[in-house]
Amino acid sequence: MKKESKFLDYIKIILVEIVAFFLFLFFLKIESIWIVIAAILLAILIYFLSKIYKEKFRALIELFSRYQNFAIGVLFILLIIYPFISPLIITHSTYWMLILIQTGIYIMIALGLNFQLGSTGMMNLATAAFYGIGAYTAGLLALKLGWTALLTIPLGGLAAAFAGLLLVIPIYRTKGHYLALVTLAFGFMLVLAADNIEIIGGPQGLKNIPPVNIFGYNFLTEIGSLHFYTNYYYLVLAILGITIFIFARLFNSWIGLTSAYIRDDEPAAKGCGININLRKLLVFVFGNFFMGVAGAIYAHMIGFISPPNFQFAQSLLIVAIVIIGGMDNILGVIVAAILLVVFPEKLRVVTEYRIFLYGILLVVTLILRPRGILPFGPRKYDSSILKFARKGGS
Amino acid sequence: MAEEKKVIFYTEDIEMRFGGLYALKNINIKIYENEILGMIGPNGSGKTTFFNVITGFYKPTKGRFYFMGEDLTGKEPYEITRKGISRTYQISRLCLDLTILDNILIGTYPVQKSGYSDAIFNRKKLIKEVKKHTERAVHLLNIFNPDLIEKLFVPVRSLPHIDRRRVEICRAMIAEPKLILLDEPSAGMNADETKELMDDIEKVRKEMENVTIMIIEHDMKVISSVSERVIALNFGQVIAEGTYEEVSHNKEVIEAYLGKEVANG
Repeated sequence: MKKESKFLDYIKIILVEIVAFFLFLFFLKIESIWIVIAAILLAILIYFLSKIYKEKFRALIELFSRYQNFAIGVLFILLIIYPFISPLIITHSTYWMLILIQTGIYIMIALGLNFQLGSTGMMNLATAAFYGIGAYTAGLLALKLGWTALLTIPLGGLAAAFAGLLLVIPIYRTKGHYLALVTLAFGFMLVLAADNIEIIGGPQGLKNIPPVNIFGYNFLTEIGSLHFYTNYYYLVLAILGITIFIFARLFNSWIGLTSAYIRDDEPAAKGCGININLRKLLVFVFGNFFMGVAGAIYAHMIGFISPPNFQFAQSLLIVAIVIIGGMDNILGVIVAAILLVVFPEKLRVVTEYRIFLYGILLVVTLILRPRGILPFGPRKYDSSILKFARKGGS
Repeated sequence: MAEEKKVIFYTEDIEMRFGGLYALKNINIKIYENEILGMIGPNGSGKTTFFNVITGFYKPTKGRFYFMGEDLTGKEPYEITRKGISRTYQISRLCLDLTILDNILIGTYPVQKSGYSDAIFNRKKLIKEVKKHTERAVHLLNIFNPDLIEKLFVPVRSLPHIDRRRVEICRAMIAEPKLILLDEPSAGMNADETKELMDDIEKVRKEMENVTIMIIEHDMKVISSVSERVIALNFGQVIAEGTYEEVSHNKEVIEAYLGKEVANG
């Protein structure tokens, strides 16, 4: 009996995910602005339905959180087969694949920022700059020295981390929002510098950065009839998977707990024996690493980078993703990244007003859900701890 | 009698000056092992400042303090906490959005040993540690209020004042410190809650036989019932020291609390 219900639960999860997956595919397919608006209205309707049928909705969420690993596994399989299915349904599947890769890269940066801002409360307004440091490092190493992506991608991350280290040390003595101001200035400075240093291309940027080439496999190779972007799609999917895995584990550990304490109440954290300066330094450096990695992948994929790619507006987008998604919630960040990167592509008509759209979205979220779409939930550490606590500690 | 006991903490001429204002002046206090020491004094007499100085939040402008024979003057709060001094705060300092479990577990941070790599790669070690501390947290909650055990994963925000205070006391106790500093635990509580709190402090004593407790209080009932020795402060200086009876009949103390005319008249 019990086994049967478990089986049914699995089926339910698979069905829900497949339906959501195809809804998403069809959303990518539609071209007419009116249908897009209809889809948005539908999403709003679903939101209100979830309010009305609270119980059923909650049961569904409960189901997903209970079989979390299974649900993630199913989603992962769906994402793996996506490149094979999408050309059958979507007209401009290559274009949308590029957008999805872009989304993946943004998720990676946003997760890095989420670790800094969402988990620890360190405002970083130079995410695009650190992302740019990763991109330029990888680009230069590949162009000038001909190094393989196997080295340039992690080194891009390390360069961004190192830049973060240099930036954080002098601001130990300051408090509050000075970090935000310093990073803000740093972001502007870096773009200006990149614009004016001739060795790294100046305003022309870096051209013809070689594609990723791992163990003789060139990422420009097409997989059957699929575009070569598919290679990058899988690369980003894999690295993003690892990133999410790492941040989920960090959240459910002392690191996540102490960071949350620093964010919510710094004096109390001090009183609990936490070396705040050291923890902040590590968090900042660690978050930056992932931004750098994301930048390095981008440089290799597009092959051309220039200072305008890393301007303040990009940093704002990342901050908006973290705030709209919900501080300190990985799933929230992912949802918000899709919302802010994929959806505006559908509203091409209003592309010029994109920043304006972000502003509206930010205000609406802050009114409807002041703590983000998905605010962080209880830290569960591990299923065994949860079980232990449920039994009343026996 | 008291002289035979071992001194675990003492201060040498602690002075804390904010600009021209002396918040503390020539404070020489001894804390004996295993006692419950009360500290009283009117508003602004320097009690909380004293706690902030000996936990490292303020750096004293003069003087030194020693814990277990070690000079801790000028050390950072986190270093002092790791030496075995933990405290609660006058205005409850819990992270209201975090769960009860989180708020208690954070107290074990000084004694846990998992780092970044353990969090990512060596989950077994981390979870074993978390589980051990969770068991201890459940044990402590069971002493104060068993109802809280079911709410381990509930945010602290939803708890009433007294339970928040209990969570805070659990947080201070869980790392098994040698000295616990309670900063006005009854602040903002009604008479019934205060009575419960007095029982709670007795429970702390019973649970941790070797712990030394220093408590700041406004409520004389709490002080008279729990503390074995009392120190009275006024204008940043020690004006009386002794048993509750002695201190409460001290003329200077009555003056400090009620004003000169009343004391004389």
